[in-house]
Amino acid sequence: MIEMKNIRKSFGTNTVLKDVSITIHGGEICALIGENGAGKSTLMNILGGVHQMDSGDILIDGQRVRFTTPAQSLNAGIAFIHQELNLINDLPIFENMFIGRELKDRWGRLDLARMYEATEDIFERMNIEIDPNTMVRELDASYKQIVEICRAIMMDASVIIMDEPTTSLTEPEIKRVFQMMRTLRDQGVGIIFISHKLGEVIEICQRYLVLRDGILVAEGKVADVTTDDLARFMVGHEMKIDRLTREKRIGKEVLRLENFTHAHAFRDINLSIRAGEILGVTGLLGDGRSELFQTVFGADSALAGTMFLEGEPVKVTSTEQALQLGIGYLPRNRKENGILKDLDVLENASIVTWPLFAKRGVIDAERHQEVFQSHRRELDITLQSVNDAIHTLSGGNQQKVVLAKWLAANPKLLILDNPTQGVDVGAKEEIYAIILKLAEEGMAIVVLSSEAQEVMRLCDRALVMYHGQIQGEVQDASMTEHEIMRLATGGVVEAV
Amino acid sequence: MQAARGKERNFIRRLMAARAADSHVGIALVLLLLVIVQTLVLGFDYGSFGQWFSAWFRNWINILRNNAGVGIVALGMTFVIITGGIDLAVGSMLVATGAVIMTLIDTGASGILGVLGITGVWAYVIAIIVALIMGYILGTGSGLLITRGRIAPFIATLGAMKILRSVTQHFMQGYNPRVPRDFLKISNMQVGGLMFMPIVYWAVIAIILHYISKRTTFGRQVIAVGSNERAAQLSGVNVNRVKTRVYSLMGILVSIAAIVQVSRIGSMDYANAGSGMEMDAIAAAVVGGTSMAGGRGTILGTFLGMLIIAVMNNLLNLFGVPPFLREAFKGLIVVLAVLLQRKQKT
Repeated sequence: MIEMKNIRKSFGTNTVLKDVSITIHGGEICALIGENGAGKSTLMNILGGVHQMDSGDILIDGQRVRFTTPAQSLNAGIAFIHQELNLINDLPIFENMFIGRELKDRWGRLDLARMYEATEDIFERMNIEIDPNTMVRELDASYKQIVEICRAIMMDASVIIMDEPTTSLTEPEIKRVFQMMRTLRDQGVGIIFISHKLGEVIEICQRYLVLRDGILVAEGKVADVTTDDLARFMVGHEMKIDRLTREKRIGKEVLRLENFTHAHAFRDINLSIRAGEILGVTGLLGDGRSELFQTVFGADSALAGTMFLEGEPVKVTSTEQALQLGIGYLPRNRKENGILKDLDVLENASIVTWPLFAKRGVIDAERHQEVFQSHRRELDITLQSVNDAIHTLSGGNQQKVVLAKWLAANPKLLILDNPTQGVDVGAKEEIYAIILKLAEEGMAIVVLSSEAQEVMRLCDRALVMYHGQIQGEVQDASMTEHEIMRLATGGVVEAV
Repeated sequence: MQAARGKERNFIRRLMAARAADSHVGIALVLLLLVIVQTLVLGFDYGSFGQWFSAWFRNWINILRNNAGVGIVALGMTFVIITGGIDLAVGSMLVATGAVIMTLIDTGASGILGVLGITGVWAYVIAIIVALIMGYILGTGSGLLITRGRIAPFIATLGAMKILRSVTQHFMQGYNPRVPRDFLKISNMQVGGLMFMPIVYWAVIAIILHYISKRTTFGRQVIAVGSNERAAQLSGVNVNRVKTRVYSLMGILVSIAAIVQVSRIGSMDYANAGSGMEMDAIAAAVVGGTSMAGGRGTILGTFLGMLIIAVMNNLLNLFGVPPFLREAFKGLIVVLAVLLQRKQKT
């Protein structure tokens, strides 16, 4: 039995966990759920020795312990299985089982035979029928999970933390992992199951813990609740949201997707958006919305389905073509996808329009300067010189520069992926104001966001995605945090 | 008090920023130092200032002329390295295009254009155009292998390097084309008693490429692709086309270097000509501040880097360093240059 008592943790001024106490018993599967940023990962990282708590106690079978490294936590019998699996593709399973703790014979050579046998024993105990000599590369995602779990068992783990283990798995693979989890539970191991899929929580777990804003807001037996109850716990009291208003001038259809399908990220997507409309697309981690709209933008390719732009079927094969067709895409993760660190501020703000404004391939620096200055006033970007390095700007100003490059291109369809990620409240409102103004001017806008409140404030209607599909659409009265969370966690649209 | 200190800190920050922005200053200082040492070593043991200057100047013309070919290649290599790539095939492309030029203009019995009855200036013009087209095709081929074929630049150009030299050697064995005298004028024409045409070609190309790098869509997209390929792609940049064009440009520059080389020497050693050229070109770019990780590099920097290596060679010569040891100094200077630049950055 593991107890975490009165755990507190802050990062800088941001308090992530406020006095959280939980108990995990052996022989049970316990769900840990909550919205993005509720504190689930921080809590588990403390238990796994990755982060240190500011105050509080961890007790294992009544004994006080304190972990300062993941290794200490592992030695105490707590195994943390992360979303990114920690296996080496080019080694066989049985060698992977012993990475870092290889068995040696007395000459210091690897004792392959003994490692192979030990792996075979574990597999037998767990009813797994794979040859320990198989290369990890050849395993599907579920068997990789299973190998990781077996590795934890081999290290005598009494508690296993599984961080969204089913995100990248298919239905039969999920069944396989669940079967394994049940076997473990019956052998007395405690499992903490972190997941956004509430249907799965109901299926596999006995108990649930719900975190919201760093507080444990609900716990109990899964048998007593429905997925709707859990979704409600995650969201809490519905906050009153002031919807931003604008003069709506909805025009002709700009984009339509029919049965749009990707190799693995999304499938059977049907949607339509008109000029002057602001469409929200939301969901939880792994819902496929970014991949969907990156494909619309030509950065990835679709397997099947048709895309229509202003009624004409188009096949977008490159981002350059998308740009020429009048599609813009502001990426998420500014640092990895948005910022070009070796270019100055003006260049970062004009890269999109270089080919559009160029005369015989020569960049029209003056025109870029003019266009940027006008957007700079509008967006209220603070900077000393447009020739400064981009990293001299604050995060909010960098984001505005990335936005400015798309404003300069003046697309028909602008896709904004997490447009207010990592910017302060003031900058957020300024970005919202620009989005509203663009819509009034007749641009079709898609806002991808993980924040339900952002979608509700800004958008006319919103599509909620779950596991690569559109789970439902919310609008007006149905556009509530509860309804969005219900759909995002796999709930279905109720027949009216 | 607080404000004054803030202002002071601001000033220092700006000064640092200005220095970091123009890393050429450091390279130029190193070059200047080497030139001073070289001048001192040459000595002043002459009858008059005029005689001294004339000797000093002729020495310099020689240095520059001898390095013009690899200097031109290094300029193209800069673009390649900025995109995060590498081109190992330049030396082999040089002999391949060189062989084609010489086969075309050969005054002997098997000179292709001679057999067709085309001689003189027209033959040279045709040979040059064919060489440029061939360089373009070979470079584009490497580029397509890298972008469409998704082969790592190192491997793709390693393959091209082996293939081109081997094929050239096979077809050119036992054949010694005679290069017409007039063709040699391209490089060896004397102006005011000096042979400096290769230097002029090198300088003109450097100026054009500098302009391309700083002012054109292509030039800036090259930096963008090297800086952050994903972000460039998501800004509507056709990353594959930019990369392919960089290798096409490399091919054209190699064919210009081949023209310079053939017209300077009038013959070519197919086994050894241009071997090690790729490394010299990379060394010049790196000494000039180009980052092998991509995203950073300038034409001016590479030009200065090439000069540093050239003066260094000249100095080793003047000091009488044994030939086998000279490469060691070249290696040393490359490593030192990179270490110094890392210091500057932090």
